[in-house]
Amino acid sequence: MKEIRNDHGAYVRKVQEGTQSFTQDLLSEIERLHALVASLQVEKQSLDERTREIQQALSANEALRALAASLEAEMNRLHEQVVTLRAANERYESEQARLSAQLERTREESQGYSSRYAEIETQNSNLANLYVASYRLHGTLDRKEVIDTLQEIIANLIGSEEAGLYELNAAKQSLELVASFGLAPDAHRSVPLASGRLGQAARSGEIFVAEPGSGEVEGGLTACIPLKLDGKVTGAIAIYRLLPQKSGFEEVDRELFELLATHAATALYCTSLHARLQAQEVVR
Amino acid sequence: MKKKILCVDDSKTALFMVTTILKKGPYEIVTAHDGQQAVEVASSERPDLILMDVIMPRMTGFEACRELKQRDDTKTIPVILVTTRGEEENVENGFASGCNDYVTKPINAQELLAKVRDHIAS
Repeated sequence: MKEIRNDHGAYVRKVQEGTQSFTQDLLSEIERLHALVASLQVEKQSLDERTREIQQALSANEALRALAASLEAEMNRLHEQVVTLRAANERYESEQARLSAQLERTREESQGYSSRYAEIETQNSNLANLYVASYRLHGTLDRKEVIDTLQEIIANLIGSEEAGLYELNAAKQSLELVASFGLAPDAHRSVPLASGRLGQAARSGEIFVAEPGSGEVEGGLTACIPLKLDGKVTGAIAIYRLLPQKSGFEEVDRELFELLATHAATALYCTSLHARLQAQEVVR
Repeated sequence: MKKKILCVDDSKTALFMVTTILKKGPYEIVTAHDGQQAVEVASSERPDLILMDVIMPRMTGFEACRELKQRDDTKTIPVILVTTRGEEENVENGFASGCNDYVTKPINAQELLAKVRDHIAS
């Protein structure tokens, strides 16, 4: 009996120990499961967050897709516009090239007109000089006034500050000084026809003009204009120093020399003819 | 209305030359033969511009210019002097007398017309 009781106690203890161990295991399992549940909850939260993020990304992606589509449409529209503008630009460029060429032609034409206008102005001015000289020389029959006019022409139109007017003395074969300005008259009173550049010009009847830079010619003589009537020399104009601002003779001066060569001689001849006629009238 | 220019020179040829040039423009020309007469004509005619030679009898261009610039009725009229010599001293004397500009002899028609246009316009 006692053995049965001992066996029973051992069995109870064994059951108790088994139960205790099972309970321990169960508790451990429950704890493990609790930890698992906690970790799964954390994971679920993280997955929820990830899901939200993905959803946000998806909706952002949708918006981007819509934007991309609208951008593509805009790009297509702009591309078409670029094509149109390029065509327009090409048209404008060719128009611009045409207008540039036309402008260049117009500019060249305008320059041509300007230079022609300047030429005509110069010719006008030259003609005015010749007209004034001619008009003034033939505007009087008074010898003194013709001589004054000649000096004024030399000073104002030619631009000299030293000049002398000579008349031919055929008997003495010399040129005699009639009037002068800027010169010492005594030093130029009489010039033999055989003497120097002045005499030589009077002898030949050819206008002499000193070339610029040719050096000093006979006391600064810069030009000599023989006065001629019917091809015969009747006197001469000697031009010495020019005004400081006048560097040399121009084409208009040479034309003026040609005019003076005949018109001055004619004007002087007319004054002497007129004086003779007046003297004859007085005698009558 | 044509602008009036008083041309002053004792040389008939020089005077004829400048009037021939200026008549090409839209100008009415009046003339005087010396500085004294220039002052009188300027006072009575009230020109828009005076073109005056420097070397003249009775009153030189410098003297006449000084006189014109002192008188109330003529002091605003621009004066262009015509100088025979274009050296600096001569030009300085011209400006000291009150002239507005100068041209040198022999007169260049284009230069003269340009200066006249400038002074009349201003």
